[in-house]
Amino acid sequence: MLRSLVPVVLLCCGCATHADKLTAIRSSYHSGNLPAAHAQIDAGIAKSSREADVLKLDKATALFAEGRVREAEQLMREVRDAFDAKEGRDLKEGVAAMLTDDQRLAYAGEDYEKVLVRFYLALANLMQDGSDATAYALQVNEKQQQIVQSAKPTPDGKNLKENYKLVTAGAYLYGALREETHTNYDDAARAFEQVAKWQPEFAQAKADLERVKTGAHSKPGHGALYVFAMVGRGPYKEERAELVSTVAVLIADRILSALGKQSLPPNVAPIKVPRVVKSVNTVNQVQVFVGGKPVGATQTLTDVGRMAQEQCDATLPETIARAVVRRAVKKGIMYGTKEAIGTDKTQWTSLALDLVGVAWEATESADTRCWGLLPDKIQVLRLELPEGVHSLALKPEGANVTAGAPDAVTVSVENGRNTYIVAHYPGSRMVGKAVTNKPAK
Amino acid sequence: MNRRAFVVTLGGAALGALGCRATPKGEVMNPNQKDASGATAAGTEVFKPIIEDALGKLMARQGGTVTPASAGQPAPKRVCFVGLENKSSEELGDFKDQIVQVIDTKINQSGVFQQISGRFVKAGLEATRLRPDQLFLPANQRTFLAAMEAQGQPFDYLLFATLTSGTTREANGTQKNYLLTLELVNLQTGTPDKESAEIRKSYRTSRW
Repeated sequence: MLRSLVPVVLLCCGCATHADKLTAIRSSYHSGNLPAAHAQIDAGIAKSSREADVLKLDKATALFAEGRVREAEQLMREVRDAFDAKEGRDLKEGVAAMLTDDQRLAYAGEDYEKVLVRFYLALANLMQDGSDATAYALQVNEKQQQIVQSAKPTPDGKNLKENYKLVTAGAYLYGALREETHTNYDDAARAFEQVAKWQPEFAQAKADLERVKTGAHSKPGHGALYVFAMVGRGPYKEERAELVSTVAVLIADRILSALGKQSLPPNVAPIKVPRVVKSVNTVNQVQVFVGGKPVGATQTLTDVGRMAQEQCDATLPETIARAVVRRAVKKGIMYGTKEAIGTDKTQWTSLALDLVGVAWEATESADTRCWGLLPDKIQVLRLELPEGVHSLALKPEGANVTAGAPDAVTVSVENGRNTYIVAHYPGSRMVGKAVTNKPAK
Repeated sequence: MNRRAFVVTLGGAALGALGCRATPKGEVMNPNQKDASGATAAGTEVFKPIIEDALGKLMARQGGTVTPASAGQPAPKRVCFVGLENKSSEELGDFKDQIVQVIDTKINQSGVFQQISGRFVKAGLEATRLRPDQLFLPANQRTFLAAMEAQGQPFDYLLFATLTSGTTREANGTQKNYLLTLELVNLQTGTPDKESAEIRKSYRTSRW
């Protein structure tokens, strides 16, 4: 019995966490080394199917930064559909996760990832013909509503997701798209009202709201230019020991060992849970210059890092509960095995099984899978410019940002239409290039 | 977290981990099948009949007032439908464009009116930078008409659609009255014709 249990336990060992692989990928991407980032991501996808979806999101982010928006959209759509299909738990995976760790569960994405993938899809599509951008932008709010409404209530009837910080970027983009139709100002007003309510710090919303309620998209002979800046290094997950639960389980198993016929494997390994880590960022905003003159700076539309952290905190009790149940299941299996082979606390087989149990528990790892190349903040600046070709310069600003030459981009602005620019600034240097839907011909 | 709550959470976590995953499925509905009814907001079950009702009544009335042309056939009136304004408490989402398309199609099928393509309407508004709600003013109407004529799309009537809702709250639910109002403005006489249709819907939360 003991001999047959050891291989089973070895088979059920957890693996190295996603966080370990992500460190190198983030480092390459943030330093602007996109070929290295691609190579690391591709190697990760080839090696681990369980992490493939989040790595594909990272790949899509890198492709977007390079201006390969069609490929980026395709990959993100693939992951969005995969996340949707994996919502809810599967019985087989559930059992496997109870015997190993949460990394065995199919990863359906964190709530903020499910929402943000739709926003990125809208942006990626806008950089092409924009034919699906409105649909994607609508999906951002739909998904948010679905997540909050379908959340399981806690025993005391609370919805932990009710107070989620919502992704305003989707509503903002939808408003911009509806305003551009010149016939749906009411939709735009509704969307900008949501933006103003969800992100009161976003001062630009007031002007946007005023314009769509009483004014027009732009003056005759002018168009609108939206500069989206993906600023700072986004959140990621780290494995942390959950001390309170570990101590509680330790006390419980010592009491049971003292009172019961069999001893339980001592609780040597801590209970591990994933926690979202928010990076310290140097870039506060991106200053925009047109024809060499400063015309404004981007403002925060969505604080991705804060949102991810708050969502992680909201669902932490459930994560801890699952980890504690897993510990109880493992200890139960060891107890049952001892009963089945008829050993007791005094025999060496009991000690050997305790050691196996300790090893089994020690192999648990927290599920740190996440979209690792998100920005810390999504920022935007809206400008109204005369139709024609404009030379712009983008310059990141912040307390510790080293001054360099601004990044130049030339765009074409059309009468009554929107032009979009997306730039990635994880640090003081732009990663990839400024991507636009209307490059100057 | 108190002990009881923690134990219940633990139980929930265990069951949740072993639960079953729903598989997404879709199927084409039979034409005779009843439309789904939105649990928290209006959907096709409200918009389809409300459009037919309001537009049907307006068309019937306007059809009776058409002056026969020389060949004895009623001359179709050229209508410029400038869009639907949503003033209800609910987002229409992807439904808005569909409502606009349905109204467009039904106007064209009526035989009473001939609808100007929405693409020209959009281009006209874009050129003049006028908002649909500004077209009620005669001066703006003239500016817009000139822009449409420049595109080779003159028209006789302007059509506005507005969706509103009224909510009545009671102890265990709400009642919503959805009202679609169509306003047809004759550009030559300035006479408006207005028609509405209403549907009431109740929303309740069922407990088991």
